[in-house]
Amino acid sequence: MKKQYLLIIVLACLLPFFHGCKKETGYKTLIITGQNNHDWQASSPVLKTILDETGMFSCEIMTTPEKGGDMTIFDPDFSLYKLVILDYNGDSWSDKTNTAFFDYVKNGGGVVIYHAANNAFPGWKEYNEMTGLGGWGDRTEKDGPYVYYMRDSLVIDNSPGRGGNHGKRREFLVRTRIMDHPVTQGLPARWMHGNDELYSELRGPAKNMQILATAFADSAAGGGTMRDEPMLMTITYEKGRIFHTAMGHADKDGGPAMQCSGFIVTLQRGAEWAVTGNVTQKVPFDFPDASGVVLRRDFREITFEEALENIKTYDVGKSTKNLVCIQHHITNLSGDEKGLLEAEKTMVGVLLSTNASVEAKKLLLRELSWMGTDYSVNALKDLVNNNDLKDEAQFALQRLQAGK
Amino acid sequence: MSNKTTRREFVRKSAAVAAGAIVLPQIISSTALGMGGKASPSNRIVIATIGTGSQGSGNMREMMKLKGQFQFVALCDIDKKHLEAGKAMVDNDYKNKDCRVYGDYRELLAKEKLDAVSIALPDHWHGIIYTEAANHKLHVYGEKPICRTIKDGQTIVSAVKKNNIIWQTGSWQRSLFNFRRGAELAINGRAGKVKYIEVGLPDGGRGIGTPPVMDVPPELDWEMWLGPALRVPYRGVSHWNWRWILDYSGGQMTDWAGHHIDIANWGTGLEHTGPVEISGKGVYPAEGLYNAPVEYDLMCKYASGIEMRVANASRLPHKMGTTWYGDLGWVHVDRGNILTASDPKILKEVIGENEIQLYKSDNHYQNFIDCIRSGKQAIAPIEVAYRAISVALLGEIAMTTGQTIKWDPEKEVIIDNPRASRLLSRPYRQPWTLPTV
Repeated sequence: MKKQYLLIIVLACLLPFFHGCKKETGYKTLIITGQNNHDWQASSPVLKTILDETGMFSCEIMTTPEKGGDMTIFDPDFSLYKLVILDYNGDSWSDKTNTAFFDYVKNGGGVVIYHAANNAFPGWKEYNEMTGLGGWGDRTEKDGPYVYYMRDSLVIDNSPGRGGNHGKRREFLVRTRIMDHPVTQGLPARWMHGNDELYSELRGPAKNMQILATAFADSAAGGGTMRDEPMLMTITYEKGRIFHTAMGHADKDGGPAMQCSGFIVTLQRGAEWAVTGNVTQKVPFDFPDASGVVLRRDFREITFEEALENIKTYDVGKSTKNLVCIQHHITNLSGDEKGLLEAEKTMVGVLLSTNASVEAKKLLLRELSWMGTDYSVNALKDLVNNNDLKDEAQFALQRLQAGK
Repeated sequence: MSNKTTRREFVRKSAAVAAGAIVLPQIISSTALGMGGKASPSNRIVIATIGTGSQGSGNMREMMKLKGQFQFVALCDIDKKHLEAGKAMVDNDYKNKDCRVYGDYRELLAKEKLDAVSIALPDHWHGIIYTEAANHKLHVYGEKPICRTIKDGQTIVSAVKKNNIIWQTGSWQRSLFNFRRGAELAINGRAGKVKYIEVGLPDGGRGIGTPPVMDVPPELDWEMWLGPALRVPYRGVSHWNWRWILDYSGGQMTDWAGHHIDIANWGTGLEHTGPVEISGKGVYPAEGLYNAPVEYDLMCKYASGIEMRVANASRLPHKMGTTWYGDLGWVHVDRGNILTASDPKILKEVIGENEIQLYKSDNHYQNFIDCIRSGKQAIAPIEVAYRAISVALLGEIAMTTGQTIKWDPEKEVIIDNPRASRLLSRPYRQPWTLPTV
């Protein structure tokens, strides 16, 4: 008896350990913030939410002393981390910290440069080589060329002038320039980004840098260069990999630039690439395309089960996001008969439920018409007598039974 | 029906006689021919237009430019404003008020004595009306893509063949010099043996969200516009923009298949076959009424080992158009008279007499009427059009199912995939059915 009690006690002690297991195995990630000309108190928790959501990272936020504070006390042990995210634009760090960060990157540490972090440390040569391009902080031709696309060609432009600019905030179209990089593989060639500052006239050493995506800084919005300006970049520095996103200007609680699923997903993919050099994450159903901005209010993708629950209240004129999620899920299940049957059963469940709208049922009948099995055929037989659904039910049954 | 056949045969015979250098003018008199009651030359083709929207009226305008060769006698549309505009165009040209108008194509086909019809409709109507027109033994100028599903296409092809009519697809790029020349260079191996083809079609455009249900405008017969498609409430989207909704079209990919995929097939000798394996991915709008893919990237393998990639232009190095890659270089064609090659010398190559000479036409509409007179096959015949669109339709199935599709281009069936096979056809809403041939 005593032994059994002991076992239970041991197991109970281990429980918290197992419970936290998933997080413990994620790549340890350090988000550095504390000074910024942007609302870092809003952005840093959102960056953490976005990366933690993947289940691949476990993030902690470290803040530096306030502006003018004693920077010698900011002394992180970078060796504990696989990834460092910079949401920082402020006072210089101590030489010791600079050297530690330099060593971290040189030895293969991953880095994400987020938005105004490319404004930071104009005088720190190595940092600027890590970011590739930067802006403001009296950057001029002395800091390196402008780099951009003009009529589909990459331009390295040494002309004199300021570094860093942006026009009025607006939604804008992002163009993927390298389609076969791990970060961009499977992404659309063109997608709409949520209301954001469109950084232009960035300049810097641009060594070992690839521009993955650009956006056209048209002059109508002010500050426009009429060039396709770099938005997403990758840089390799010694053994280190750096992912640089110029996007994501934060409002209180994030705002549309950070809620944009294009920003979120490229950040998640870029972060994975910075750690491993590869990307294993699938492109989600709600990645935006050229037809419009897609926002995630709570920064995460809805699941198939949630979409099926949400779709019950679908009516004409409402968002079609839940349907698109369901379609995407079905496509992803291709070849998995068991998974498809499970999905089918859940969909039929909604179809036969009393609390789902007629319009929702019509949408589901179209999907079942091609992916359903005998399970659907049996379930649909009575629906052909349902006045609201008879056209769609007939459509589905006819297709399901064709060739039999 | 016999009346129509007689008239068709008469036109053909009299044209043949004319071609035999007999100088006596061949004249028939027909009250059906209009033109202020004047007698018309026998080789004037009596024609009607079904679908007088932008594409239909554009085709009509081009046909009327061929002075005196076509005689438009009747029009049909489900939008009264389109009908009025079409009638005004015809009547102005003929300086009379004789052009008859119909809101139902069945009535037009039953009442009019015609040689030919020009048809420009949303894709979901093609299966029924193309087949009906062929069954009425009318020559057809039909817009691409010629079908919304493979099954529709197969039915139209057999109707055209069985009724032995002249068919011209609106794939007018075939009648432009740069496309023919590029295809001829490719098929004669001037870039080497072609192993790979890239076809760039337009990127998808901006969405409109999901507009609310609204009143159908009084001029529009919405029920007839929907026809065989599932009934949905009217939300202000019908003409032109139907092509962004999957019930009626497959988006840019299927819309343009009849152009650049058609040219690719022409220059590679793939006009009468299809791929054996098709895989692909699409980017579908995450929100809104428009649900056709705005991006797409297909890879098609042919039995000969040739591969064809079909993608939206932004994904490809040459953007829009067709590019044949051989073992010696490449040849690229696109609209805007674009004909380029990896080496400018390729473009100066002469095609010898014993090499493949592609069908030559300098005017797509003239070619249609010439073929009606001669009985010769037009430059863009039905099966060729069917083979071009079937590449995109199979790609659409690969994208919808997320699977690699295996296709038998001889038997025209998908191999070992019942789910994907269901997508080869689409049930019609009652009372509509695909006509039998």
